[in-house]
Amino acid sequence: MLFSSIPFLYYFLPVVLILYFLAPKILKNPVLLISSLVFYGWGEPKYVFLMIATVLEGYIFGLLIDKFRGKPSSKIFMIISVLLSLAGLAYFKYADFFISNFNSVTGLSVPLLRLALPIGISFYTFQILSYTVDVYRGSVAVQKNPVNLATYIALFPQLIAGPIVRYADVEVQLTKREHSFDKTAEGCRRFILGLSKKILIANTLGELCETFLQTPDTSVLYHWLFVTAYMQQIYFDFSGYSDMAIGLGKLLGFDFMENFNYPFIAGSITEFWRRWHISLGSWFRDYVYIPLGGNRVKRARLLLNIFIVWFVTGFWHGAEWNFIIWGLYFGILLTLEKFFYLKNIERHRFLGHIYVLFFVAISFMIFSAPNMTEAVVRLGGMFGQGGIPFASAEFWYQLKNYGFVLIIAGIGATPIAKNGAYWLQSRIKKKALFDVLEIIVLLLLIIVSSGYLADGSFNPFLYFRF
Amino acid sequence: MKNKSKVLTLIIGISIFLITLLCWTFPKQEYSESERRPLAEKPELSIGTILSGEFMEGFEKYVVDHFPKRDNFRRVKALFSEYVFNKKDNNSLYFADGHISKIEYPENIEMLDHAQERFDFLYDSYLKDKNVNVYLSIIPDKNYFLAEKNGYLSIDYDEFIESFKNRVDYMNYIDLVPLLSIDDFYRTDSHWKQENIVDIAEFVAESMGTQAKSQYTVNTLEKPFSGVYLGQSALPVEPDTIKYLTNDILDSCKVNYYDTGMAVSGDIYNMEKAMGKDPYEMFLSGTTPLVTIENEKASSEKELVVFRDSYASSLVPLLVPGYSKITVVDIRYMQSNFVGNFIDFDNQDVYFMYSTTLLNNSLAMH
Repeated sequence: MLFSSIPFLYYFLPVVLILYFLAPKILKNPVLLISSLVFYGWGEPKYVFLMIATVLEGYIFGLLIDKFRGKPSSKIFMIISVLLSLAGLAYFKYADFFISNFNSVTGLSVPLLRLALPIGISFYTFQILSYTVDVYRGSVAVQKNPVNLATYIALFPQLIAGPIVRYADVEVQLTKREHSFDKTAEGCRRFILGLSKKILIANTLGELCETFLQTPDTSVLYHWLFVTAYMQQIYFDFSGYSDMAIGLGKLLGFDFMENFNYPFIAGSITEFWRRWHISLGSWFRDYVYIPLGGNRVKRARLLLNIFIVWFVTGFWHGAEWNFIIWGLYFGILLTLEKFFYLKNIERHRFLGHIYVLFFVAISFMIFSAPNMTEAVVRLGGMFGQGGIPFASAEFWYQLKNYGFVLIIAGIGATPIAKNGAYWLQSRIKKKALFDVLEIIVLLLLIIVSSGYLADGSFNPFLYFRF
Repeated sequence: MKNKSKVLTLIIGISIFLITLLCWTFPKQEYSESERRPLAEKPELSIGTILSGEFMEGFEKYVVDHFPKRDNFRRVKALFSEYVFNKKDNNSLYFADGHISKIEYPENIEMLDHAQERFDFLYDSYLKDKNVNVYLSIIPDKNYFLAEKNGYLSIDYDEFIESFKNRVDYMNYIDLVPLLSIDDFYRTDSHWKQENIVDIAEFVAESMGTQAKSQYTVNTLEKPFSGVYLGQSALPVEPDTIKYLTNDILDSCKVNYYDTGMAVSGDIYNMEKAMGKDPYEMFLSGTTPLVTIENEKASSEKELVVFRDSYASSLVPLLVPGYSKITVVDIRYMQSNFVGNFIDFDNQDVYFMYSTTLLNNSLAMH
């Protein structure tokens, strides 16, 4: 089920909130768990059983790791748990990738499995991994209540598109949550803003991207318009989902970590990745990069560590070579920054912005393609390969058609709007006026977003690969 | 504001729950008048439909289609898109010079190939080496008059028409473009107005060597005509008015419709359909595979066969005075290879009359 859908907004969510707040404290987690399973099963009912099996695996191995703490078997149970979790991910997400590459190399024709990817498997697998590893490390206490652990894994606000919530971050909140009007109001704000970012901005720019991908009237400038729109679409879609998840979390008494912090204002690629999909970056840092030795190793080993981290980061995003190349591309840029010019570009902030936007645009073109062959074609199109004209009639039309949305998106991707709101708040003498204005704006956003949904407008789900 | 969070939570919460209540209780409809389509039905709830995902898919369509005051919400979207996002079109529909129109772009070569292949088939199967005169007119859609000058994407209509003429050079081309202007079209619909195309009918008849001049009484349909684009665009635009032309000749014609292959007699103007979902369907009963119109008061014995799309529905009645019999064929609703079962091609004028819209989207031609 999508957050940005009428079934979620006006059927699922109100019922869940009523049940949740009517339920006594002891039943709040069971209500959340059952709701989350319904939410998950809505898209692919059979995979609810996979989700339950995954939770049971994490639960049982968590207990075993804890029981044999201090003994070698504890480490063995942790390794088995990690391997089981990764095996599930490998089977459902990567099996066809491995088979097709095996077929290409050997010339054989091993049939593909063509499995439907369980939605959100990459997210909840990483959550279970973090739980069992943290139990092994002793940084969190084992969860003896299976309902609480299942609630953490399956919790619907962050289930299908993150942020990747660490068990350590919500360990206490699973049993002790604060509900207040301040927190609920903040949850409402975040949810409505996220919903609007997704429906009004991301989906509108998504229409432009779809139009580009289907047009025969392409051109160099149209490629650049596409990649600009695509960057913004992904940002507003993904950060909008994270806002909705954080907002829903607050409504239910949880505090999830921030996942985006205006990544397009970064002055270096290093800074970009500190601002983009923060929960994923920090997960790879804590569970892959640092266990490999981090940067306290010799240069050759450090390069290998960076290679491994960015290889898996790319691979996590999709089972195709273009995602691996996409990850390694960032790995190379980050390595170059680390060893050669990070300090220089940090001194020239404006040039740093241009540099980031250019290289991130290239990366998104790779990311946008279904495979590496198509990625090469699209990259070539950005630089005039394929004999395409510099500009086309459709480019000029779509520039006029979507230009204003792109400007709004460009401003929205920076702190200007937020700072503007703070400035306005400080300038209005009657604070109540600003408060009323805020409520009106939020109500209007609900109405307009509902209008887009009722119209059946373009509303893609971008996380089917994750 | 004191208790700001409390007020915000309550107002937002109550609003969401109010819309929820309306979603759950608002009366459901079977048909959308504005979009001219049946609305999704409630999906069957069973273990089988849940496990297959059919129920969820059906439910999502159902709740979107039956969203309370949906047309008003769609209008909010259309206005937001136009005035806040400054978008030039909404779902490819745009408003310019008082008209709503739909972008027709780009030129689709595959569709033109298909249309040509169908025309070639008809010509080779029924018309070649026969005692018939074959004519063609291509009617430009509204974008010809609106798109380029208002900055919208537009196919090159002159090139489009010229190239299609050359594809079917066995047809004599009758050029209607110089006689047309945007005022000849409904503001909210794709079609032309019958009361504005009398001169076109006379010109067509003259080009085919006959006369179709006649005096008509102009009648106005009381029901407002919300054209196909009005509902789709959801824009707040006034509906059109349909006018239709009558005279003694048209009243005395013998008209037969062959919807099922069997002849059913009727009238040139179907007043039941005039009151229905798409009032433009009053002209020759709208989507019909085959219609014959016999005119005993004709000044000549000439017969005419028209291969057509919906634009011809309102034009063909105006050609009646020039012919003793007109047979109207729509190969979107009849297989081309069945045409010979109904028409004996001998000593007729054969007129292919198609809009640029259909030629550029010709997959429906069989």
